Amino acid sequence: MKNKIILIAFLLVALPTFAADSQWVLKQSTLTYHVSHKLHESEGVSHAARGKGVCHDGQCDFLIAVAVKSFDSGDSNRDLHMVQVTRGAEFPLVTVRTRLAESVAASATINADLEIQFAGQTAQYKQVPFKVETQGGETHITGNIPATLTDFKIDPPSLLTMPVKNDIPVRVDMTWHQQ
Amino acid sequence: MLRNIFGNRPNGVPGLVFLVCLSVAIAPSLMAQTAGMGALTGRIVDASGKAVANATVTATSIDDGQVRSATSGTDGFYKFEGLPPGSYRLKFEAAGLKTSEIPSTTVDGTEMTVPDAKLEAGESVSSKPATAQQDNSPNAPSSSKTEPTLADLGLSPEQTQGNAREQALLDKRTHMLKIHQRMGLITTIPLVATVLLGPGAGGKSEGTAARDLHVALGGLTGDLYGITAYYAIRAPRVPGTKKRGPIKFHEAMAWIHGPGMILTPILGIIAFDQKNNGEKVHGIASAHGPVAIVTAGAFGAALLSVSVKF
Repeated sequence: MKNKIILIAFLLVALPTFAADSQWVLKQSTLTYHVSHKLHESEGVSHAARGKGVCHDGQCDFLIAVAVKSFDSGDSNRDLHMVQVTRGAEFPLVTVRTRLAESVAASATINADLEIQFAGQTAQYKQVPFKVETQGGETHITGNIPATLTDFKIDPPSLLTMPVKNDIPVRVDMTWHQQ
Repeated sequence: MLRNIFGNRPNGVPGLVFLVCLSVAIAPSLMAQTAGMGALTGRIVDASGKAVANATVTATSIDDGQVRSATSGTDGFYKFEGLPPGSYRLKFEAAGLKTSEIPSTTVDGTEMTVPDAKLEAGESVSSKPATAQQDNSPNAPSSSKTEPTLADLGLSPEQTQGNAREQALLDKRTHMLKIHQRMGLITTIPLVATVLLGPGAGGKSEGTAARDLHVALGGLTGDLYGITAYYAIRAPRVPGTKKRGPIKFHEAMAWIHGPGMILTPILGIIAFDQKNNGEKVHGIASAHGPVAIVTAGAFGAALLSVSVKF
């Protein structure tokens, strides 16, 4: 009898911990790509990313999507070329998937394995470091994704016959809210 | 008047220089435009990015309905050669994997690389074996049913589906603007040379060699400028795009150098006529030099505005 009571008590305490799902929702985001050319540097910024994380059994699957067209570099001509060269009309979204342990929200840094689909290609980035700050139920994540044009088989666009550099690092600044 | 003026111009070196320069300048562009058959190449991968061998790729011409097929190699690559330029729909089929399609891709007489075709796991559509392997790495994205989807993000099918027609429009626009950019750079060379030779051509010298060279270079500049302008004007517009940034200044400059490129040769012809008659350049023709300098300045500013960040 005593054992049964202990078992029931354990289940009552443990089940919500292990079985309950929780979700994360992306509240705000700023994604910035950086392109280098011999004549100048340029950045394109998007605040239009949408994201969701679904947690189950202590693991959270995250999906973030942002429209290629939503990046604004301050030059409409450059933005149209960017959409063309990345085949942004044919593949309108950049999606990022990752799986993280639910406990990492309490960490100061996380290393995430990212699967990014962009320009009709899929690239994997292993152990990308991000800083994590949690305040009042909201988690602020910042970091850089070391993307390159060759990762997505994008021909480097050129200006005055000089191609841009292969590196297109993406600065990530996101605020997530746990529900 | 034109016949009179060009009738006075001695045949020989200047004319030959003009024709040679024009041929050299235009030939690469024309060759690019008249290239023959094209090729399509690409790679087929599974959901984990592994190559899929022995997959069937079918290319159907959207223009005339002709169908061709190819099979991917062990590295997942396939290739179609000898394709007439046009638009093609590509279909990818492999055993144990879902069929995938690229609604439209354009062949333009060169070898085009198609983005990787990613085949998701699903029902078999072919009896051919595939070498797809699953990624079992511990941090690989989950295949669990709790994984969020694009629909969970509130994205509509219109936002997630590609638009091949719009991509083709963008491809054409970029192709034309690349030619515009290259031709603009090429035009700069005779333009600068023409401006530099201007004082010698219109000075007190009674010789005609410098004047003829100036005219030949000016003619070459005008022709190249015309081609440059054609590719900018004819490049398709993308609906719903609001112009921002340096391109606005670039286009504003065109309203100066465009009319200038028409006015400069007209004034030059009058000046040329006056010089050949032994007169000093006078009247409206005396504006030829200043108009040319303003035109060249606007052209240079237009070029710099989209090249260098101020």
